[in-house]
Amino acid sequence: MSSRWKEVTKGIISENPTYVQVLGMCPTLATTTSAENGLGMGLAATAVLIMSNVVISAIRKTVPEKVRIPIFITVIATLVTIVDLLMHAYIYALWKTLGLFIPLITVNCIIMGRAEAYASKNGIVDSLLDGLGMGLGFTLSLTLLGSIRELLGNGTIFGIKVWGKAFNMFVMILPPGAFLTLGLLAALFATISIKKNEKAKKKANQQQAQKAGEQ
Amino acid sequence: MKKEMLKTSLILTAYTLIAGISLSLVYTVTQSRIGSAELENIITAMKYVLTDENGNQVIPSTEIEKTVTEKSGEMGNVIYTDGVGTVTSPVYEYENSGVKYYVLSGYAPGYGGNVVTMASFKYDGDELSLYAIKVLDYSQETPGLGAKIAEEDNQKRFYPIPEAGLSAGIKVDKDAGKQSLSPEEAKKQGVVKVSDVMTGATITPRAVSNLLNAMYKYLREEYLQGGAD
Repeated sequence: MSSRWKEVTKGIISENPTYVQVLGMCPTLATTTSAENGLGMGLAATAVLIMSNVVISAIRKTVPEKVRIPIFITVIATLVTIVDLLMHAYIYALWKTLGLFIPLITVNCIIMGRAEAYASKNGIVDSLLDGLGMGLGFTLSLTLLGSIRELLGNGTIFGIKVWGKAFNMFVMILPPGAFLTLGLLAALFATISIKKNEKAKKKANQQQAQKAGEQ
Repeated sequence: MKKEMLKTSLILTAYTLIAGISLSLVYTVTQSRIGSAELENIITAMKYVLTDENGNQVIPSTEIEKTVTEKSGEMGNVIYTDGVGTVTSPVYEYENSGVKYYVLSGYAPGYGGNVVTMASFKYDGDELSLYAIKVLDYSQETPGLGAKIAEEDNQKRFYPIPEAGLSAGIKVDKDAGKQSLSPEEAKKQGVVKVSDVMTGATITPRAVSNLLNAMYKYLREEYLQGGAD
C-alpha cells in the first residue's frame, strides 16, 4: 500500500511536473496570472489527466506501437471536447471562468507525457493514482505560481487583499513575471533535491564508515 | 509487412471511429442544453441592465424572458459599426409608462480580443441616455489589470450618462485629461472615471467606451430616425 501512496506523492515534490519535469510550460506561463486561474487550470487538467491515464491504461494492450501517439492524441482530444461540452451545458458559470483553459488542456504535454511514460506501461489503478498525483502536483505548482504573481503584482491572493497598492509590480502579472517566478521556483525545487541527495549521500557514507569500523 | 500495415491502420480507424461516434453522441445530447444555458445567460444580463438604482426591475421578468426567447433566432448579426465599436442584432425594445428602454449588445477590441458588452439606453421621447451596462466577455483581458472590468463597482463608473455626455462622446478620464473629477461629476460630461480603480489598464475601459459610443450613434442616427418621436 505504501508504494501506491508513493505513486500519488511523487508528483508533488520529487517528480513535480512543473518545476522538476518542466512539462506543460505553455498553460503554466499563460494562465498563472492569479491564484484562482492557476487553481482552475490545475483542476481541469487533473480531471482530464486522470481520465486519460485510465483510458489509455485500459486500452494499452490493443494499441500498436507504431500508431500509439495518434491514438493517444485522439483519446485525449476526445476527452477534452466531451468535458468542454458537458461543462458548457450543465455548469455554465464554471465553464465561463474555465472556458479559456479547457481547449488548452489538449496541448498540455503533461497529459501526453504521462500517457506515453506511465499509463501505456502500467495497470489501471496505478495509472489512476499516477494521474491523481501528477495532477495534484501540477495544481499545487500552478496555484503557488499564481499566488506569488498575484501577490506581487496585485497585492492579493485569491482576491483577498494582503497589502496596499504601493507594493504592486505590474510586471509580475505580465508575461515576464511568469518567467521570473518560474525560474526562481525551479531553482528552489532544484536546491531542495540537491540538499536531499547530499544528505542521503552523507548518510550512506557514514553507514559505510561505520561498517568499515566494525570490521 | 503489408498485413501488419493493414492491421495497424484498421486499429487506428477503429479508434477514430469510436472517438467520432462518442463525440457526436455527446454533442447531440448537450446541444439544446447549451443553447438554453446561453439564453439564460442573456436573460440574466438583461434583467441586470433593466434594474433601477433601488434594485427594482423596470421591466417584468416574464416580458424580458418572452422577448429574448422570441428574438433568439436573429442573434449575433452585425447591424452597425463605426470602425471601432460593433453593434450586433437584435435590438431589444421595452416600454414602461411612456419611457422606452433599448437594450443593445456588441463588442469592441480590448487588450487581447473583443470585449463584449450589453447596454441599456433610456428614451423618454426627447432625451436618450445611457441607463446601465453589463460586460459579458472580458476573457482575453489581463487578470489584475483589464479584467478588473468584471467588478460591478468598476462597471458602475460607466453609467448613467445623460445625452449631453453621450453626444460629446464617452471617453475614459485619462484620454479626456480629466482625472481630477469625481466619478459622478465625470459622468455628466461623458467621462468615465476609472484611473483610480483600474490603474494601468486603459485599453479595456476604452474598448467599452468605444462600443457605447457606437451604440449611441446607431440609436440616434439610424434606429430612432424616421419619426420615433
